[in-house]
Amino acid sequence: MKPGRHKVQSMIRTFKLYGTLIGFLAIIIFFAIQLPDTFLSARNLINISQQISMLAVVAFSMTLVMVMNDFDLSVGSMASLAGVVAAVLFSMGYPIYIGIGAALLVGVLGGLFNGILVSFFGILPFVATLGTLTMFSGMAFLTSGGKTIFGRDIPSAFSGFARSGIQLETFGFAGLKIPYLTLVAVSVLAIIWFVLEQTVFGRRLYAIGGNYEAARLAGLKVKTLRLTAFVLTGLGAAVGGLMYASRVASANPTQGSGLMLDAIAAVFLGMTMSEEGEPRVIYTLVGVLILGILDNGLTQMSVDSYVREILVGAIVISAVAFSSLSKQVR
Amino acid sequence: MFNFKSMTGLMAGAVMSIAASNAPVMAQEITVITPYLAQPGTQMFIEGFKAEATNMGWTPNVIDTAGDIAAVISRIEDAVTKQVDAIVINVDPAQIEAGLAVAKEAGIPVIGMDSGTSPLLVSNITSNGYAMAAETSVYVANRIEGKGKVVMFVFDAFPPVQIRGVVADAIFGNFPDIEVIDRVTPDVSDGGIADSRAKMEAILAANPEAGSIAAVWAAWDQPALGALQAIEDAGRGGEGIVIVGIDANPQARDAIAAGGNFEASVAQDFVGIGKMTAGVVARAIKGETIKESVIYVPTVLITSANVGQ
Repeated sequence: MKPGRHKVQSMIRTFKLYGTLIGFLAIIIFFAIQLPDTFLSARNLINISQQISMLAVVAFSMTLVMVMNDFDLSVGSMASLAGVVAAVLFSMGYPIYIGIGAALLVGVLGGLFNGILVSFFGILPFVATLGTLTMFSGMAFLTSGGKTIFGRDIPSAFSGFARSGIQLETFGFAGLKIPYLTLVAVSVLAIIWFVLEQTVFGRRLYAIGGNYEAARLAGLKVKTLRLTAFVLTGLGAAVGGLMYASRVASANPTQGSGLMLDAIAAVFLGMTMSEEGEPRVIYTLVGVLILGILDNGLTQMSVDSYVREILVGAIVISAVAFSSLSKQVR
Repeated sequence: MFNFKSMTGLMAGAVMSIAASNAPVMAQEITVITPYLAQPGTQMFIEGFKAEATNMGWTPNVIDTAGDIAAVISRIEDAVTKQVDAIVINVDPAQIEAGLAVAKEAGIPVIGMDSGTSPLLVSNITSNGYAMAAETSVYVANRIEGKGKVVMFVFDAFPPVQIRGVVADAIFGNFPDIEVIDRVTPDVSDGGIADSRAKMEAILAANPEAGSIAAVWAAWDQPALGALQAIEDAGRGGEGIVIVGIDANPQARDAIAAGGNFEASVAQDFVGIGKMTAGVVARAIKGETIKESVIYVPTVLITSANVGQ
């Protein structure tokens, strides 16, 4: 056993770091073989990028708080609330920029409220944001009167945004376009990547995640930093909610609720790729892609939707379990 | 000590083993997409659809997005990518126009199963709300021999229910001796029973003489059940007040079976809607032009005579 131990350890290390990535590539190769005509077609890849864009924005924003070992369980209901606020303002005849501005403001205020509860009142994020999840959801019901707002109430320019994009005809791809929703997600990715990886602010969030007490004793303004991160997450959730509302050309008080668990799952999947087990926004992207590609590919293969849910759960668990097992062995 | 398995095996293996068994391509590929599979009505649509589909040799792929409307659009896009022969939806088409437009562009017919009408759909197969309301209002008018005071429970804010009220208005208006004394819109935030009961109690108090109210017509079952409770608790169950609802939900069926004031309701044929949808899908696949933007499946008046069936 002894002589081989070093070799086994190094293999485990390799698989711990690259296991999720290898799994991700295996899924792509699998679908490419099973669906040779469609899966890797430009149109399908563009479809996937648009299908995951809302989840991606919420998951990227979730990464900001998860970097500090915090959670924001309220992102889904915030997304619903933001969509409803914009739609109600549209139905009252306000212009699009007012609706969008108000929805983003609600996101900031909601995030601020979360941040105050967590950093100044010292309530555990799990408990605080579980409470605000219910509050935001109630507000969304109250604002909309429990109804779905759709049809003539939603300006066509708002819903048209999710159906339009930059035409690729000039680049030789007739009939294809890069959807605006995809571009929004890419922009949010770039901003959050820059904030987390290239700024002092980002370093400090990682420092809090590494050791909260040490960060505080080192003189970091941990309360303000945490507050700011929660504000940004709230804002990101509102952006995701607006994208969703634009895509479905309507808003109802529950439509964002599915985003929260998927966003956390995506961040967890991404964390298994990081050597320190930290969330990195680029790895979160891989997590989102795994979830989105599974949905897309398994639908095309006519796999039952319940089986698909079981598979997605199993994949998240196996990736995280593998990562944690290999840590124990080390 | 610890069984070493690569992530490749873990992640891809599970996908492959389950997915591969579903891989064979059918002659006709039909994808059914709904966010509401957990609801009993939807399950009956699907049951009827599948039964008919099996007869035609199809293996429909039923996708439930668990309430997620944007995911319905995504799954329509996937079905279009896969170039299925037809898509069936059970969701408001106004919310998924982005997906419907993609299907239309690809020339893939989309059929609505109790979904709502849209120019992007080949047709929508549903129950006739006008006819359902006519059935129960005529039942009431005949039972009270065309005369007496009637209380109506309506809900004009919700279009499918609003049309029921319009029809009842017209039918009661056609009987000179029927007087609609109240047109109540109950608060439905708690389901509609409790507030309807409170409203009916007030109406009973305002009309204390026995026999002063001939009937209660409700645009759906919950207000009818609330009115029934109010009438029974006021001790006025023996006055012969006729109550009717629409939808024939299980609670309403129980009340009708009990043989009290709640005499009739109308049942939608959910399974029949599913079967009819499959028939329309077959016509659409053949390339037939379907002129009717809405196709109605007959409903059944439920009374004590047939409630047990």
